Amino acid sequence: MPKTVRKLFLVLPMLLAGYLVVVFALADYMRSKPFVEKLGYIPSVNTMKAMSADHRETVGALLMLKVLMYYGGLVDKASNELDMPVDYPAMSRTIDASLKLDPYNMDGYYFAQAVLTWNVGQVALANTFLERGMQYRDWDWQLPYFVGFNNAYFLKDYGRAAKYYRRAAELSGNNMFINLAGRYMQRSGSTEMAIVYLGNMARNSRDQAVKKSLLIRQAAFIRVFALEKARDAFVKQRGKLPGSLEDLVRAGLLRGIPRDPYGGKFILQSDGSISSTSGFSFSGVKK
Amino acid sequence: MLNTVAVNLRAIFRDRVFHGIVVVALLFLLIPSVSSLSMRQVTELSITLALSLLSLILLLLSISLGATSLWKDIERRYTYSVLSLPLSRSAYLVGKFVAVALFLLLATLVLGAVACCMIWLASGIYPADRPIVWMNLVLCIAADLLKYVMLVAYAFLFSTVSTSFFLPIFGTISVFLAGNASQQAYDYVHSPLATTLSPVVKQAASVLYYLLPNFSAFNLRINAIYGIPLSMKAVVLPLMYFCIYTTLLVILATVIFTRREMK
Repeated sequence: MPKTVRKLFLVLPMLLAGYLVVVFALADYMRSKPFVEKLGYIPSVNTMKAMSADHRETVGALLMLKVLMYYGGLVDKASNELDMPVDYPAMSRTIDASLKLDPYNMDGYYFAQAVLTWNVGQVALANTFLERGMQYRDWDWQLPYFVGFNNAYFLKDYGRAAKYYRRAAELSGNNMFINLAGRYMQRSGSTEMAIVYLGNMARNSRDQAVKKSLLIRQAAFIRVFALEKARDAFVKQRGKLPGSLEDLVRAGLLRGIPRDPYGGKFILQSDGSISSTSGFSFSGVKK
Repeated sequence: MLNTVAVNLRAIFRDRVFHGIVVVALLFLLIPSVSSLSMRQVTELSITLALSLLSLILLLLSISLGATSLWKDIERRYTYSVLSLPLSRSAYLVGKFVAVALFLLLATLVLGAVACCMIWLASGIYPADRPIVWMNLVLCIAADLLKYVMLVAYAFLFSTVSTSFFLPIFGTISVFLAGNASQQAYDYVHSPLATTLSPVVKQAASVLYYLLPNFSAFNLRINAIYGIPLSMKAVVLPLMYFCIYTTLLVILATVIFTRREMK
């Protein structure tokens, strides 16, 4: 056997052993490395349209998946109570770009409705996306249903809400939306409306992060609704608003004050409405 | 000429191009699992990804086969010995072109079938809002094939005037990008947003629009992905456009190749 080959046989096991040590150490380090999913910079929509050639829909879908990954990481971090600044403007920009590349992509509209409205208060932006989407997905009842909900619940514009609910009823052939409009088009019914709506959204979501976020919000609203019912019973009995939520417990209308799933504390406002110190978000508790 | 087609087709297979396609086609197997990441449109995402992957493979094949096929033969001096046989230059060129086009057709048939299987599997995970219109899907794949055959014709045209592979390869890539953007550029130039542009630029853009291939006409993705009805015009007009444009390109390439000085 030539000398060089013999040398190689000596070196090879050493290299192999070294590789095994390094590769496992590296894998171990990578597992414990803090995971930061960033949305980062994206080129302008016109540039992406030109460069993606006939792959526009794919680029749009990939941008949307990037937002979902980013948001999924945030929801996990929020549950673990880690502090993480959320780049909501980048999220909105990326969704906008994704929907301009493929205006038919339902994931974009669904995410805007599920997250941008509740978490960022960008109701007007979500409505802009949804109204744009209605020009393309002209068969889809969900888009007018979402805009109707946003107008009724967030913007208190019941006239516009009724218009969009009627459109949802026409497209779906389901009169439930007209009934919904009649039943919930008043401030007193808004919590119940939100509970039904969040339940529907969560049922239809396949993304676990979005589903979890919607279910937590629904759980909070179910508790608020119970408090509202007790408050109304108190007003009926005594003819005046309770001074605090503890009054409802003392009056025997509640067994105890429920816990806010976001970690905050429910409080009774002077106008009788129920709010929480968390502002119904995990980040609201810590600050 | 049939012999030339058969010989060139065999040469493509001998180069193990088909083996390469099969390896890349393994990526299709990932489509159902990647699509399941979508919140509301698993089937639609699977169609998007399948069509994109198929188009990407066809693009790579068009560039690699179309732009190097003729150049390689000239570089290896293989062309000289072939042309010493009783075979005209035009028959040689058209034969090579038809062989590449046939190979693209074969690859499209195989990959299209695999793509349809993956889409069918993904649709079982989460059914689409609207049922899949398989005819739209087939027409979309067919339109993609026509587009890439047209691109191969351009690659051949560049090969006839070039002595290196730079022009055929980079010229074909440029035509591909320009052909996909030409409709968008034309729409922009003639929109109210472009009032500041000079009339000369607008005229130049219009001339380029009619000269460059319009690949957007072959893009039936939205109809395939979201099951949106296709009009007869959307199918027939691109088909006629393809036939006339490709024939003109091949004729032009043949004329140049016939007059080319071979040393």
